Amino acid sequence: MPFHEKSAWIMSAALVLGGGFYFFAVASGSSAAGALISPNIPLIVVYTVCLVVIATVGHIVIAVLAPKDANARVDEREQQIFVRAGHYSSYILAIGVLLSLGLYVMGGRGDLLFYTVFASLMIGQTAEYLLQILFYRT
Amino acid sequence: MAKRPPIDNRVRELREQHGAMTQAALGDAIGLTRQTVIAIEQNRYSPSLETAFRIARLFGVGVEDLFIWTE
Repeated sequence: MPFHEKSAWIMSAALVLGGGFYFFAVASGSSAAGALISPNIPLIVVYTVCLVVIATVGHIVIAVLAPKDANARVDEREQQIFVRAGHYSSYILAIGVLLSLGLYVMGGRGDLLFYTVFASLMIGQTAEYLLQILFYRT
Repeated sequence: MAKRPPIDNRVRELREQHGAMTQAALGDAIGLTRQTVIAIEQNRYSPSLETAFRIARLFGVGVEDLFIWTE
């Protein structure tokens, strides 16, 4: 498996785990409060730290296991894979943001707008890595 | 990547004729990953013109001896 495919697996896992943690915490907090809690910086910091730690440790491990692959340049097929994955995932992000804006226009709830846009970012980015994996394998 | 190009190639055949060169060694020689060499050999990926020339020059053949249009 090429280094960048392993990297895509790590980033997908990090985003799914980090996003799962974040929205579980928001859902739990909202359930306890009886209403959607406002976005708070400490939770975002914890999410970001989790993401960075998983990504960093994961990449160190795959680089140590295959140092030659880690230093290899991205080749022409990989460049095409990244461009295609980025292209298709940008539609997912755009659709998520448009839906979020629609929700805001109808409800006027700023907190909900933050969460839906944040979720769109996470889903779009996760989709980009999953598409990279798919294109590597087809 | 999903649709196979109408191009066949003799990369695997020539690689094996050249001292049973490995896919990784061919990839290193022309700046591709082993997985991209595999994709070329399996007709899942058509390389750029530059890469096609690099492979042909490495094996000492012309590009049209290496890649064959099949339609």
